[in-house]
Amino acid sequence: MAQGVNQKLNKRAALLLLIILVLGFGAAILRLGWLQLVDASELQKRAVDQQLSDTELSAKRGTIYDTNGKILAASASVWKVVLAPVYFDNDEERHIVAKGLSSILDVDENVIFEKAQQESYYVEVKRQIESDKREEVIEFIDQLAEVHEIYSTVYLLDDYKRYYPYGSLASSVIGFTGADEQGLAGLEYQYDEVLTGTPGRLVTAVDSLGTAMPFEYSQNIPAGDGSNLVLTIDETIQSIAEKYMLQGIEDHAVFNRGVCIIMDVNTGAVRAMASVGGFDLNDPFTLTAEKEAEIKKLPEKDRADARYEALSNMWRNKAVSDTYYPGSVFKMCTAAMALEEGLVNENSTFYCSGAYTVADTTLGCHVQTYGGSHGTQNLREAIKNSCNPALMQIGELLGIDLFNQYYDAFGFSERTGIDLPGEADDIYFDRDTMGEVHLATASFGQNFAITPIQMATAVASIANGGYLVQPHMVERIEDSKGNVISTTSTEVKRQVLSEETTAIICDILEENAVSGSGSNGYVAGYRVAGKTGTSEKKVDLNEDGVQDYIASFCGFAPAEDAEVVCLVFFDTPTGAAYYGSQVAAPVFAKIMSEVLPYLEIATQYTQEELEALDTTADTYIGMTVEEAERAAEQGGFTTWVKGEGDKVVAQMPEAGTKIPQGGNVVLYTDGDSIMDTTTVPNLIGYSVSDVLYFATYYDLNVSISGMSNSALSTSYSQSIPEGTEVAPGTVITVTFSAGGGTD
Amino acid sequence: MSEKTARAVRAASADPARRVQAPQSAQRRNTRSAPKKKKKFKFFDIGLGLDMPFCLLVLVLLTVGIIMMFSASYPIAYAETGDSYYYLKRQIIFAVIGIGAMIGLSFVNYRIFYRFAKLLLAISYGALILVLFLPGVNGVHRWIGFTSFNIQASEITKFCIIVFFAYWGTKYADKMKYMKYSFIPGMAIFGTTAILLILEPHFSCTVIVFLLVLVMLFISGMDTKYFVLIGILVGAAVLIMWATGLLGYAMDRMDGWGKALEYTTSEMWQTTWQTRNSLYAIGSGGLTGLGLGQSRQKYLYLPEPQNDFVFAIVCEELGLIGAMLILVLFALLVWRGITMSRKASDTFGKLLGIGLTAQVGLQVILNIFVITDWLPNTGISLPFFSYGGSSLIMLLAQMGVILSVSRSAKIEKR
Repeated sequence: MAQGVNQKLNKRAALLLLIILVLGFGAAILRLGWLQLVDASELQKRAVDQQLSDTELSAKRGTIYDTNGKILAASASVWKVVLAPVYFDNDEERHIVAKGLSSILDVDENVIFEKAQQESYYVEVKRQIESDKREEVIEFIDQLAEVHEIYSTVYLLDDYKRYYPYGSLASSVIGFTGADEQGLAGLEYQYDEVLTGTPGRLVTAVDSLGTAMPFEYSQNIPAGDGSNLVLTIDETIQSIAEKYMLQGIEDHAVFNRGVCIIMDVNTGAVRAMASVGGFDLNDPFTLTAEKEAEIKKLPEKDRADARYEALSNMWRNKAVSDTYYPGSVFKMCTAAMALEEGLVNENSTFYCSGAYTVADTTLGCHVQTYGGSHGTQNLREAIKNSCNPALMQIGELLGIDLFNQYYDAFGFSERTGIDLPGEADDIYFDRDTMGEVHLATASFGQNFAITPIQMATAVASIANGGYLVQPHMVERIEDSKGNVISTTSTEVKRQVLSEETTAIICDILEENAVSGSGSNGYVAGYRVAGKTGTSEKKVDLNEDGVQDYIASFCGFAPAEDAEVVCLVFFDTPTGAAYYGSQVAAPVFAKIMSEVLPYLEIATQYTQEELEALDTTADTYIGMTVEEAERAAEQGGFTTWVKGEGDKVVAQMPEAGTKIPQGGNVVLYTDGDSIMDTTTVPNLIGYSVSDVLYFATYYDLNVSISGMSNSALSTSYSQSIPEGTEVAPGTVITVTFSAGGGTD
Repeated sequence: MSEKTARAVRAASADPARRVQAPQSAQRRNTRSAPKKKKKFKFFDIGLGLDMPFCLLVLVLLTVGIIMMFSASYPIAYAETGDSYYYLKRQIIFAVIGIGAMIGLSFVNYRIFYRFAKLLLAISYGALILVLFLPGVNGVHRWIGFTSFNIQASEITKFCIIVFFAYWGTKYADKMKYMKYSFIPGMAIFGTTAILLILEPHFSCTVIVFLLVLVMLFISGMDTKYFVLIGILVGAAVLIMWATGLLGYAMDRMDGWGKALEYTTSEMWQTTWQTRNSLYAIGSGGLTGLGLGQSRQKYLYLPEPQNDFVFAIVCEELGLIGAMLILVLFALLVWRGITMSRKASDTFGKLLGIGLTAQVGLQVILNIFVITDWLPNTGISLPFFSYGGSSLIMLLAQMGVILSVSRSAKIEKR
């Protein structure tokens, strides 16, 4: 029996061993194998996630400069508030932090609480807080530690915020950024990748208390700051353009904003591009008070849509995103085509009876409105008259195919490829069904729509001798240290016209600007060429069936060797005047009269102009002091008498010199005083009144140039450098620009 | 032969003592008459010599265990005490004491426990009751303290239970098939012990004690049908406890059982923190591991990496290959312990040796199930690896007892 017991024991012991080894150890090994081989990658990932504290380091967004280095958009240091929710012990702590931060940062408490529940070292609560809020957050963090004994859950990191020193200047071109500094519009959007840079990361292996683990598990990828853009835009020119465009919009009650493009005809560099009225880039989501009031009147449900529409309309860069019928401005293109093809010459004649019939359709000339006609005209006269029948005849000579060929050559059928977002396509006839009537209307610029930038580029090709250039906004890209990464070179797409043709057109357009339909665009002292345009907005008639117009003017200067082209465009002037010649041309003239001197384009005054412009000093030598003073005052001058003598022995400025109106004449009464000189002071960086004060103080004459009519105007150049010894009364030209410094 | 005499003869021959004695007595009387006549108990007994393979396996496991415990514990030791070697130093001291106890006990005749089996059972109950009246830690009463040295009452219990059932199984070897000699005393002792353990509370030890009782009854020869009965009873008991919420403390810990990787509430996240980070550690190890000392999870992610979860760090550092090698060492230890004990010279030695060896094997298996989220996190330490003075010394002492048993085993020991 005992033997039986022992046998059973042995058997059962063996069975037990088998159970423990096979079932127990076998299961344990299978389980470990499953976890370490099958689930390994997932578990490992989750382990690494909790072991690595991954902090994003913000990269500084690149700065946008104008061509002269003035800052148009820059990022300034601010802070962001970040949570490390892994360090919360319980929901009570989360609530304390959520409540505290909510009251400081104006973020919903529940949103913060939810963020505080994530299993993470890095959850952003609010970005771009300024230093006052930062102080409050720091205080709160201290309070958390001292009062509630909550540690390491809230911290601050460097962040950046976008500032636009010039506010609304070139707003639709520069664009703006969103809450995370991502470009949302304009160049900020177009060059977002370039400007953004690469955010850095600080990856550290940390223990569960957030202390770094004692082995090489830390990686610091520094933030790569974004690159800077140097634009072709010149802040001064842009300011000039916007100032007069705004004035034009007010004067003519322009309903739907206006566009001004100023471009270098030879390089395609855009010097100014304004869609006025713009918006404050620092506050891009705020509509004007009127617009807000308008939206408020709408039913509740429509407001959001209306608001969105109003905002997109406000942000819209009309210069590239709008299409319009170019109207009469286009006539220069039609004429150039025919000249280039030798179908017409300067002496070709065209008859205008006030209307012209093409394939049973009679189209009127604008003179018809007044019951008139242009009669027989040569090419020059036809353009100066802006005669539609003449252009229709030229169109007929060209024929549809040739016209289309040139239409393509001028670049109207393709986007210009300017480095701005949202460029629109042209709206042209279906070429398969395009007929004589279509051609007739197209030849004077109606019934097809192009963008303002396309028009400006095409005019530039006429102005520069026939070359279609690529318009561009960015002159060069620099890295954050200022090293040039890339420079935009002039890209000539093709030669559209011969120089012979363009020379004739330029000559006609110059004459047009002096004595033709474009005479309101005339700028004294400069040889300006240009053409008006008044186009119908047939596409969308007002509800009351009244036709809306676009008044435009496109011109360039100097006529025979153009440097800049300027397109002025007003969308729907609702005042009494709506013709391009009445609305756009004067604005063009005002803009150019400031831009051309600023660009230091040599004046070529006609004799009459000179007389009208500046007063010339007579000679006062030999007169007694009293006589001389009386004579000078009659001539509109103020006088300074130097020396002790009774008679004037010399004068400054000398007789025959142009003196600004109201200028000063220095009368010398003895030989010694002639020897007096004065040192030219620094006149740069001052307001107009300061410069005038210095001029008086130093016995100098100042000729003021540039944008001097604003209280914020600042002088940026003087014709005679500081420190030069000159005779008292010498005329120094000081040029001003609108507000804003060059930091 | 009358019916009555036949039964008497059968009864007589059924007496094991007489039966063993009868045929062999003539032969033995000549050679070993003196010991036979008066079987004198020897307290110290070298016997047939120590089982070297088992002894070596113990020492190898102890060495690997201490190294891994150190690797797992130095960050937390530094964080808690400023001394990275805090746990290592203490564990080495315990190991030295333990080895001393093991060697000492290996010379002690294990049959001494046969004599004191009932006393040991009483001591077990005494310790379990005493501990309830001692100040606990966070409401848990597990430790009997001697100022700087504490011992878990349950460590005493596990040993005493094995010894008692070895005694019982020997004494009533031929009656184990009867319910009142196997099932009833087994369940009675387990039941009373379990109640005291749950009062501590110490759920995992309850499970181990239950399994140990089963193992002892199994090798003692309890009839299979009673195991079925036990199975039914356990199922019912769990149901009842579940329904009445008696599981209390254990339930708390079981909340997140098997769901360590799922995020539900932040409270659950906290509850399952240890198990989840154990899984992270094991998974991070992959096949080959991050290398000795390269664990990242021990940097305060895995709480108490020196205790129950030390093997998770082993898996992270040594990978599946390392973990399997260690499990193979444990398996060898269990195999050697059981096969060697089977050859012990008497039933008591066999039962004692197998029981003590099985305890090691069970703890290893249950520990791995816990760290891999197959069992609720209830505090089962890993023999030779987990930090702890009383348990390590106790464990090595038990190894000493097994070695003592080995001295009587007729087995190749080199």
